[in-house]
Amino acid sequence: MSAPNSNQRKACWGARDELWKCLDDNQDNAASCEKFQKEFEASCPAQWVKYFTKRRDFLKYKEKMQTEGFEPADGPKESQS
Amino acid sequence: MLCLERRMLGLVGFIGGDLHATSGRLLRCTVRSSAVQQSSGSTHHPQRVWLSSQAPLCGHHTPKHRTGLYGPFTHPQQTLGSSRGPLSLFTQRVTLSQGPNTSTAKIRLRTRLVVTLLFGGGLLGTWWYVRNEKQQNHRMQRIEQLKKVALGQGDFSLLDHRGHRRTKRDFLGSWVLLYFGFTHCPDICPEELDKVSAVVSTLDKDRSLPAVQPLFVTVDPERDNVAALERYVKDFHPRLIGLTGTPEEVKVAGKDYRVYASPGPKDEDGDYIVDHTILIYLVNPDGLFLDYYNRMKDDVQIAESIRNHMKSYVKL
Repeated sequence: MSAPNSNQRKACWGARDELWKCLDDNQDNAASCEKFQKEFEASCPAQWVKYFTKRRDFLKYKEKMQTEGFEPADGPKESQS
Repeated sequence: MLCLERRMLGLVGFIGGDLHATSGRLLRCTVRSSAVQQSSGSTHHPQRVWLSSQAPLCGHHTPKHRTGLYGPFTHPQQTLGSSRGPLSLFTQRVTLSQGPNTSTAKIRLRTRLVVTLLFGGGLLGTWWYVRNEKQQNHRMQRIEQLKKVALGQGDFSLLDHRGHRRTKRDFLGSWVLLYFGFTHCPDICPEELDKVSAVVSTLDKDRSLPAVQPLFVTVDPERDNVAALERYVKDFHPRLIGLTGTPEEVKVAGKDYRVYASPGPKDEDGDYIVDHTILIYLVNPDGLFLDYYNRMKDDVQIAESIRNHMKSYVKL
């Protein structure tokens, strides 16, 4: 399977951007954006779909950290001696 | 007798006219009749001076002022001539209102302005010079550090996207911008290569600078053969050369620049993503690694940095 060329890349990125905009408008409600999801999966190689989905999760997580604050996980509990 | 007449006329004039003029005339008339206070020459002379500004009826008729009875308003300065005393005081006052005092004030202001500007200019110049020195020091320090790291010391032997064998030696003599990536990259590699293309195009515009050679080395030799690279590089700068080879050759080249590359898990299509170092490396014409640029640097900053390196480049 050969790599996507410039036009195919741009088509994939466009579909991804559409999907992400829809998700942003609908508070990440995947059900309302099914049409865009299908379009996105059709335009991009499977690996890229996975990659971009993970990327979005990461970006959302980062945003949450920056706005809501961060609670460090508890360290190892003190052992009872 | 004539003077008395004048005095009466002067009084009339006073009612409707200029107080100063008439009082002046009255004064002068009385002066005439009494002893003249002027010290210059005979009594005739001052009289004429005084009276020349007035209506000729009072005293001598002088050709100077052929005016009516009341004459024009006598400007004290007209009678300046050789006169001194109260008149000169008056004229002095007149000149003071627009004379040397304001011009000295103006001169003083101008000097102050000039001095301030010079001083400010001097300060600015010093600051700028010191800043430049600091930046230069910074750059030299960085180069020393990177030289210690000594990336890219080894040699590489790879195939370019036209199938020709290329070694590191082939690129000695030109500045090289090196990027490691793979053609199946979703977004990062195309973005970085677009950045590299923009940098090279910007530097191309400056005729005084040597041409920069952009290189793209694959970290995915399994899939990125010569044909794949050829398809890929034509979307970017025309001078971009893609390089590939056997996995061993590619590994040697990557190791040279301490490039981390790790292919991810394959999916059902056999597709996978290679996790790798995202850096653009700058190599000078002697084949020495000089600098690197990460995702945070935009094409303008990179071009500027390369320009500085070129300027401070000293041939070995």
